[in-house]
Amino acid sequence: MIVEGVHVFPGPREVVWNLLLDPDVLAKTMPGSAKITRTGPDRYEGTMAMGIGPISAASFDVAIVITDQLEPERYTMQIDGRGGFGFTRGIAAVTLAADGPTTRMHYQADLQVGGKIAAVGQRLLDSVSKLLL
Amino acid sequence: MKHASYMGQRVLRLEDAKLLTGRALFIDDVELPGMLEVAFLRSDDAHGILRRIDVTAARSRPGVVAVYTAADLGGYWRPGPLLVPPPPVPGLIFNAATQVPLVRDKIRHCGEALAMVVAESRYLAEDALDHVVVEVEPLPAVAGLEAALLPGAPLVHEQFGSNLAARVHQRKGDYAAVRGSAARVIARRFHYDRGASAAIENRGVVAAWDARAGELTVWDTTQAPIPIRNGLATMLGLGESQVRVIAPFIGGGFGPKIMMFYPEEVLVPWAARQLGRPVKWIEDRRENFYATTQERSQIHDAELAVAADGRILGVKDVFLHDTGAYDPYGLTVPINSQCTLLGPYQVPHYDSEFRAVFTNRPIVTPVRGAGRQHGVFVMERLLDLAARELGLDRVEIRRRNYIPADAFPYDHEILFQDFRPLVYDSGNYPAALEKAVELIGYADFVKTEQPRLRAEGRHVGIGVVSYIEGTGIGPYEGARVTVEPSGMVRVATGVGTQGQGHFTTFAQLVAQQLGVDVAQVQVSTGDTRDFGWGTGTFASRGAVVAGSACHAAALKVRAKILALAAGLLGCAEAEVDLFDGRASVRGTPERSLTLGELARKANPLRGAVTPGTEPGLEATAYFGPDRGNAASGVHAIRVEVDPETAEVKIIRYVVVHDCGRVINPMVVEAQVQGGVAHGIGNAFYEQLIFDDNGQLMNASFMDYLLPTALDVPTVELAHIETPSPLNPLGVKGVGEAGAIPTGAAFAQAVEDALHGTGVEITEIPLSPSRLYALIAQARGGTS
Repeated sequence: MIVEGVHVFPGPREVVWNLLLDPDVLAKTMPGSAKITRTGPDRYEGTMAMGIGPISAASFDVAIVITDQLEPERYTMQIDGRGGFGFTRGIAAVTLAADGPTTRMHYQADLQVGGKIAAVGQRLLDSVSKLLL
Repeated sequence: MKHASYMGQRVLRLEDAKLLTGRALFIDDVELPGMLEVAFLRSDDAHGILRRIDVTAARSRPGVVAVYTAADLGGYWRPGPLLVPPPPVPGLIFNAATQVPLVRDKIRHCGEALAMVVAESRYLAEDALDHVVVEVEPLPAVAGLEAALLPGAPLVHEQFGSNLAARVHQRKGDYAAVRGSAARVIARRFHYDRGASAAIENRGVVAAWDARAGELTVWDTTQAPIPIRNGLATMLGLGESQVRVIAPFIGGGFGPKIMMFYPEEVLVPWAARQLGRPVKWIEDRRENFYATTQERSQIHDAELAVAADGRILGVKDVFLHDTGAYDPYGLTVPINSQCTLLGPYQVPHYDSEFRAVFTNRPIVTPVRGAGRQHGVFVMERLLDLAARELGLDRVEIRRRNYIPADAFPYDHEILFQDFRPLVYDSGNYPAALEKAVELIGYADFVKTEQPRLRAEGRHVGIGVVSYIEGTGIGPYEGARVTVEPSGMVRVATGVGTQGQGHFTTFAQLVAQQLGVDVAQVQVSTGDTRDFGWGTGTFASRGAVVAGSACHAAALKVRAKILALAAGLLGCAEAEVDLFDGRASVRGTPERSLTLGELARKANPLRGAVTPGTEPGLEATAYFGPDRGNAASGVHAIRVEVDPETAEVKIIRYVVVHDCGRVINPMVVEAQVQGGVAHGIGNAFYEQLIFDDNGQLMNASFMDYLLPTALDVPTVELAHIETPSPLNPLGVKGVGEAGAIPTGAAFAQAVEDALHGTGVEITEIPLSPSRLYALIAQARGGTS
């Protein structure tokens, strides 16, 4: 599943870059409730819980590894989430482009989803995945 | 004479009172003191290496009694048996890979079992699943049939070096030579996709080990209780008589329950013995979507060579068959496709080659129809297209190609799934066609009604298709008939029962011979304690094979009754009549004995008996047919399609069916009606959708659509009876008939309704949205 989108932030790239890689901010951007901590220079781990369709609170252990960093232009996230409701894993490429006083973030993720969330939440996954990113 | 004949009578089903008042035992009704319940941890990945599995935390959960992984099974871990070896076709390739009880190193399909939790309740067992730590190294999945065979494709089973599970080439005549002389060659690619069998009742296993008696009792929703008993005894190191398998009332089998030695079936009895407590596992619906076998993905590249007058010169078919992650059921399904394609037609030259392919999807084994659908769909569609190209009527092209009624036995010169030559025993296809065409009013519809409705802007269509259902294959079944001192007659046979009406039809066959009321006959099926020899319920063979065994055993008991009664009543055996539960001297009915009295006299406590005789009025008999028989029929359907919404309304559904002699018309009608419902689901609603990673994306009834009562019309049914010469009753099977040609009928009718739009249907299942896309595509193409 390919998920792609653009988001415009009202601020310069350097600020957006730091915010995007701040574990507390990262946690806040996740749907549902999430706790994310930085466990290494480019590594985050945590848990998140979210509802997808008929699954009310799917809890995942999430590991995120940041690679290919070129501050403040682009980075790649390797996402690996696993829980009782299945898994989601994949790679997301994020680019930041300065656009006057704002920053345009473009993301493209290739995600695989498996288990219960794939089986019974399929129709809703696309929109949820966008939320996720 | 009362009860002169039960053959062909509309006897009300004897089991229904029990079923309708909730007194029938289903597997989940089995409750035993101290019983534990099981939940399985199933793989979320479709393909991957199992790097680590840690059940320590799960084991320490409250109420958890045991947690097992592959490593805990020790020597009990072994792949299941190959249930059906490949038939002796020259040049055949077959790579056997059977399912494992728990994944040890490699995961091959989504939902494959990784660990088994046994707890005080299912709730506690399921809660513990979350505490099993699993580390999987994901592998790219083999998802598509064609992609599976490309060089460099990921491998489901490394040892074979490719994903080829089998390759079978069967030929008759010389297709290549005749192709050049054809007036037309119609070539198309056809797709048939996967569905679930969707029985109302999922699978379940309950096992109890009685250490004092040294006896294991297993309740199992299997269609094959006796082979399960035999296999479990061997695996567990027990004698066959130490294991009793009971297949209770089952809410639908449809084939996946003839798959044997499912992981759960092997593990639950083992755990019961390990733990010394009864253990129960009931499959939930979501598990059923992964853990119960499925069917029907095939891709056919087929062509039909016809003469200018519509006569078939030959057919060539090359197809791929999806066998899923393992192939324990051998080649039954694709061989059925290969054979059934020939249908009721004279095909002088046939060249058919298939490759079965391993994929990272749940296992494929027969589901009602078992590959026959595909063959019928391909052949019927090719005939429809040929008729259109030649300007022939669709019914007429079939008429011109039928095997004539006087050409039986008819040899198709290839091998069938029972390893016997595909020789049809009897049939009258033209008669069935004419009857169906008349019942649905084909001529009038095509000439007047359809043009009139089309002029009004309505899209109405008609479809008429034929099919053969190879049924009643061997090897054998048996039955024991006993007259008890009460006068009750007990019949025991080994086939399991899943709603077919065995309690009634078998009783009819026995009552017929013994001259008793059918209600006096009690049938036991599917309990290995009552009868221990047999194979199971599959291939529409219950009535044919087990029915013939009941008949044979009843004849033996009848002979014993006549001999005993003649001696006691002082007359010749030929003078004894059996009716009303009595043996009477013909002409002097007051000289008579009840069967109960005779049963008592046949089992004396003192005195001498004639040497060579047996006590009691009891006999066991077996029946094994030389080969399967060819049931057949014609389905005719009228539909109306709304091209804006792609809604398809079935206006009428006619089935003319030949299953040889009919034992009970109501049972036959119910089988056909149920089969058509199954077929309609298969044609227009049901499709299992897998993504490229082998993930099943609609594993719930929220997204997997089943037809409801609103979508299934009442079938208008007529019978043709061409008795089978292969069994004493002249019967043929009927269990799958309704489901086999439905897709082909549906496709023809819908295409006819959309006449002029350019829509051509070469795939099943359609869905409203898929049909909508086809209509839109055709419109786009013509604008």
